[in-house]
Amino acid sequence: MSVGPDPMRDAALSRLHAIARAERARSRGEDRLDGSIADFFLDTPARLDDRARALIAQWLRGVVGGIETDIRRHAARLLVAAGETARAEAMLTQGGAMLRLTRAGLLRDRDLMGELIARVRHDLIAQALPSAISGPDTASLLVRLAAVPDTIVATAATALLVADSRRRTANETGAGARSELPAELHHRLVWWVAAAIREGLHDLMKDAGVPSATGGVVQSDRAITDAALRCLAAHDEGERLEAVAARLALAIDARPDELPALLVEALGDRRLALFIAVLASATGMDFDQARAIVVDPEGDQLWLALRANNLDRETIARIGLALSEADPRRDIESFAEALDGIMAVTEADARAAIAPLSLHRDFRVALRALTRSDR
Amino acid sequence: MTTHASFHHPADDPAVAQAAVARDGVLLSADPVLVALNTRAGGMIGAPLAVPQLAAITKLSQRLGIIVSRGTVIADDDVDIDLWVRAQPDGDHIRLTVSGWREVQPSRAPASPRRAVLDFQATGADLRWETDASLHLTFVSLDAGTRYGFDPLALLGQPISAMVALDADQNEGAAILDALSQRRALAMLPARFQGTGLRVRLSAETRHDAHGAFAGYAGGVQVVTDLTAGGERGVVEAKPESDQLSPTFTAGLDRALRKPLARIVANADSIHAQADGPVRHDYADYASDIANAGRHLLALVDDLVDLQAVERPDFTLLPEPIDVADIARRAAGLLSVRAANADVGVARPAFDASIAAQGDFRRVLQILVNLIGNAVRYSPKGGTVVVTASTEGDRATVTVADEGKGVALADQTRIFEKFERVDPSEPGGNGLGLYIARRLARAMRGDLTIDSAAGEGARFVLTLPTQAARDQDQHQP
Repeated sequence: MSVGPDPMRDAALSRLHAIARAERARSRGEDRLDGSIADFFLDTPARLDDRARALIAQWLRGVVGGIETDIRRHAARLLVAAGETARAEAMLTQGGAMLRLTRAGLLRDRDLMGELIARVRHDLIAQALPSAISGPDTASLLVRLAAVPDTIVATAATALLVADSRRRTANETGAGARSELPAELHHRLVWWVAAAIREGLHDLMKDAGVPSATGGVVQSDRAITDAALRCLAAHDEGERLEAVAARLALAIDARPDELPALLVEALGDRRLALFIAVLASATGMDFDQARAIVVDPEGDQLWLALRANNLDRETIARIGLALSEADPRRDIESFAEALDGIMAVTEADARAAIAPLSLHRDFRVALRALTRSDR
Repeated sequence: MTTHASFHHPADDPAVAQAAVARDGVLLSADPVLVALNTRAGGMIGAPLAVPQLAAITKLSQRLGIIVSRGTVIADDDVDIDLWVRAQPDGDHIRLTVSGWREVQPSRAPASPRRAVLDFQATGADLRWETDASLHLTFVSLDAGTRYGFDPLALLGQPISAMVALDADQNEGAAILDALSQRRALAMLPARFQGTGLRVRLSAETRHDAHGAFAGYAGGVQVVTDLTAGGERGVVEAKPESDQLSPTFTAGLDRALRKPLARIVANADSIHAQADGPVRHDYADYASDIANAGRHLLALVDDLVDLQAVERPDFTLLPEPIDVADIARRAAGLLSVRAANADVGVARPAFDASIAAQGDFRRVLQILVNLIGNAVRYSPKGGTVVVTASTEGDRATVTVADEGKGVALADQTRIFEKFERVDPSEPGGNGLGLYIARRLARAMRGDLTIDSAAGEGARFVLTLPTQAARDQDQHQP
């Protein structure tokens, strides 16, 4: 009896495949057209510039790839220990979690991308800030703070020097990217990657003809879970540049009369995170919220926040100028135009205007969602 | 107008010019150099400041009420001038301080410190670092730490001496200390890592703040892995192991490099020219940098091929009757654009002058292009390079004289040697030009000599046999 391939059946299958392929191609073609149309009508402020785009892509690849590797390696070790060698080997086969999550649209997550875009804009502006020295041969702000007798301030300043160097190295070389995400987002990302790994593993085992109803599935699920949990446990959101800067700002606890000099010096030392953290702490906002108004090229909320702290005209002008030099999306001329109007806003009015920004983050999100929906 | 009588060389201090502008934008007073620039743009004292870039910065400073300083490029006639402009509110007017006055030369190193830092990062240092104005480390890259067994993070906030040994009694340390104390850039200075004792080379650019004050260093450390490289001072002075280039090596180099380089240059040029559609301004500028770097490499390939040829013991050139006055005019013509960009005038032999000699047309042209090119490079702005041709007895002579800083007697032998340069700190050039030029001159039974004293400009003299001399030679047994 012949057990060779059935030519009739194969021909039918390949026809079906060809039709399916053509259908997929048509659907992707339509998606691409949608993308191109959306791209064309995108207004300039919403458009990511090339550097931001490249940094975001580099970060996503680095971090998703890093999490994936950590999970796969550890899960493979667990599987070997459990005697599941074939699954362990399959686990180590290079997978494409990044591609899978992108296709699935999961990476389009608003919170994740919002955080990422804000951070990349922050990093690009920070990198482009013009230096301003505090005085000839004078140590820069952070170096001075790292050497003060107050150990809480000194420790936090040293930690910020470290976090800044770490972030810059990752941005400039693409190496050693760490997720540095808020814990909640990091959790979400780790479980997505774990799910993509599981799916890929199952496909691989199915193709290899390994039946899925064996105990191996339970074993590999457990291994992936343990490896993901290990990855979550290792994440310390307190080490994020943003968290470290916030810690330093709290430790400094600037008096209102120290605030203008501290803000200007933080920008001159090109420590945008510290500038944001000091502003956030003085205004009673979250770091994220303060960062959002600082990297926003329109800047109106930033000027209000500065006025709410009763900053003088010269300080606000210097901050506006430095940010404009570093961020090509800002329009220094319209800022100069608006400066008198900004100064005309009283401290009390400014405080009232930005008060909603100081509300709890989730409360703010809920209020915005409600405003956007129909009554 | 003549290029070398341009406005930006007042006899007093050309580096800094000042002006006072009223709050309504009217120019109240200005140093002559600024008056000239403003006049050329159609303005005058008592009327609104007419140079748009200066007016914009002045207005911004007036509206913000703070010092505004930034670099700008101003087109004046057919040249672009790179300026640093600082506007400061001062009572009822704005005080304008304009410095820089550099002509934009795309082939030179970038003027903006930020660009220079980025370029530096691209050179692949093992460890990148930055300091503040007090030379304390404010940034170290972390990638090298694990590779070379030290903790870069521990260096943050520490003085630079925590990174590299700076013992004044050691030669190496003294050279670095010297550069640091004068806030000069560091160029591949040998040093030792603190702690590990690893041999490294230290390089750094200076950074400046908006007021031009020293704001720190941005640099890199390269770990010396090659034992022979440890003792050398720097790349500029490095010499090849063997004095001879093998013909196969040169031919291979020529074949391997010329085509790809030409393609790089052509593509980069077309990106710069935006031939295929608009390109963002900074990308177009990068393309121009790429094209210039490519041309530099192509010129080096040419020189290496020449070098290999002139060093062959049997190297000769077929003499033919030539007119050196005509060749000198052509060489000067070839360099007229570069001379105009550098604001240097070139006086060439009179149109109808003719000096007969014996030599190879192409090689004499090559020598003169090299000599005039050097003269233009080392001439001060507004200077003139004088090219003359004459006959003295049985020798035809072409003299190229500049008004630069000249060449000290002690250096006059050195500069004709391989890989030596008149001024090693000057950018551009590979130290082969004069060596090849003299070899070529001698292969034509002529010579290339220098006649100069430090501070008096350089005079290079190319001599070639005249027709008569050759006949005489031929009649000798």
